[in-house]
Amino acid sequence: MRLELHKVKINKLAWGDTTSVRAGVLTVNKEELLSVLAGDERLAKVDVDIALPGESVRILPVKDVVEPRFKMEGPGGVFPGMVSDVESVGEGKTLVLSGAAVVTTGKIVRFQEGIIDMTGPGADYTPYSGTCNVVIILENVEGIDKHDYETACRMAGLKAAAYLAEKCLGTPADEVETYETPCLKDAMAAHPGLPKVAYLYMLQSQGLLHDTYLYGVDVKKILPTFLNPTEVMDGAIVSGNCVSACDKNNTYSHQNNPVIHHMFRRHGKDFNFLGCIVTNENVTLADKKRCSSYSIKLAKTLGVDGLLISEEGFGNPDADLIMNCWKAERSGIKTTLLTDEYAGQDGASQSLADSCPEGDACVTAGNANEVIVLPPMKKVIGVPEEANVIAGGWQGSLAADGTITVELQAILGATSELGFTKLGAYTI
Amino acid sequence: MVKEIERAGLPVVHVCTIVPISLTVGANRIVPAIAIPHPLGDPTRTMEEEKEIRRHLVQKSLKALQTEISDQTVFAD
Repeated sequence: MRLELHKVKINKLAWGDTTSVRAGVLTVNKEELLSVLAGDERLAKVDVDIALPGESVRILPVKDVVEPRFKMEGPGGVFPGMVSDVESVGEGKTLVLSGAAVVTTGKIVRFQEGIIDMTGPGADYTPYSGTCNVVIILENVEGIDKHDYETACRMAGLKAAAYLAEKCLGTPADEVETYETPCLKDAMAAHPGLPKVAYLYMLQSQGLLHDTYLYGVDVKKILPTFLNPTEVMDGAIVSGNCVSACDKNNTYSHQNNPVIHHMFRRHGKDFNFLGCIVTNENVTLADKKRCSSYSIKLAKTLGVDGLLISEEGFGNPDADLIMNCWKAERSGIKTTLLTDEYAGQDGASQSLADSCPEGDACVTAGNANEVIVLPPMKKVIGVPEEANVIAGGWQGSLAADGTITVELQAILGATSELGFTKLGAYTI
Repeated sequence: MVKEIERAGLPVVHVCTIVPISLTVGANRIVPAIAIPHPLGDPTRTMEEEKEIRRHLVQKSLKALQTEISDQTVFAD
């Protein structure tokens, strides 16, 4: 499989008569974009705004972030099973509006939604303070089921992202990245002497609005399966999550999953990267046992020497992470775990809900309970009062002057367990 | 909470869904529950069946509470 990402760099947004790119400026025809999003009977009102890096703008509560992409050459289309037909993706050419993002906000669906500050101390904690954001503001029809409202928000974000990139087809790319994965027959024979590794990609699937979709399939209903990493770049995995904002893997972070990109970079040098095993995080012990065993069986069948395992969310998914870890290790497969911590506001509490002696190579994306004070912004897009109810906030988080005091948990992507975060550490 | 109550001298039965976490945190008497969003019931069953599920869990828990143990014990069916 060979996929070319044709990246058009975006460093500014503007309203205009046609949606197009010129010299790094993405011009958006607001009326046309709104007409693409119109007609959803679950939504009472849809509006759109712009937020640029460095502006005194706060967006909350943020539901999802999506990178505008569209297929230049197939097969298939972006976000299969959602916006496009369910044809397999991950091959051909894909246009990427790199530096632009669609952000969905509006009346809260569920309390685990996040904050993006485009400047100030909060901006340092979210990667989406650095993107040129087309913000879709959504309002549900009164009395609608929460799941229907979430679906409407999710679809609006995906449609907007596909629309923006489709309108820019034909724009010459500033950069073309090529990713190629051979079939397993060839992959197994390639790079003799290097260890074979795979990526065990855990997806949040607890239900009750904690959902992720693979080719449109609700991931709680799958058994673990093999996925080509380039499929992820075309939007095969879509977030429908209202999980804590800091460590939910929103759609943008799936599309740009740094684990996949870095494993490609080291492929053929440090190891032989065979691909992804996607698995879920379900709510019964039987499901957790079944899917961890099944994942490791797939890893053993592939004959890998090592697995990189990333978690999504926290709490009971820690049990999935740990089962994946010890089942792999006891099968002779080395593991590295990528997670974050809920160690209390003082950092002194137990970081994970579960643990095992085999988990001796663990990377943390930070402590989600750490408290931050976000000074007021000149403009707020969305509903600022939701700061008092979102996860990481509390009654009184929003002060009268617009200052918000919250845990990092409330900031979108602050402790991303894909490593799509600005937090880091150096060994001195 | 389980550990703190036991530290005060009262035996505790931890009814919980994700048994491995209960084992990790050090509960001694563990009764497996149904699912995280509905530990003591099952919305796919009828009200009568759910009542039976709850009764069974409570009776099993009471039995666990009265059972002498020397190590962490999971009271499976």
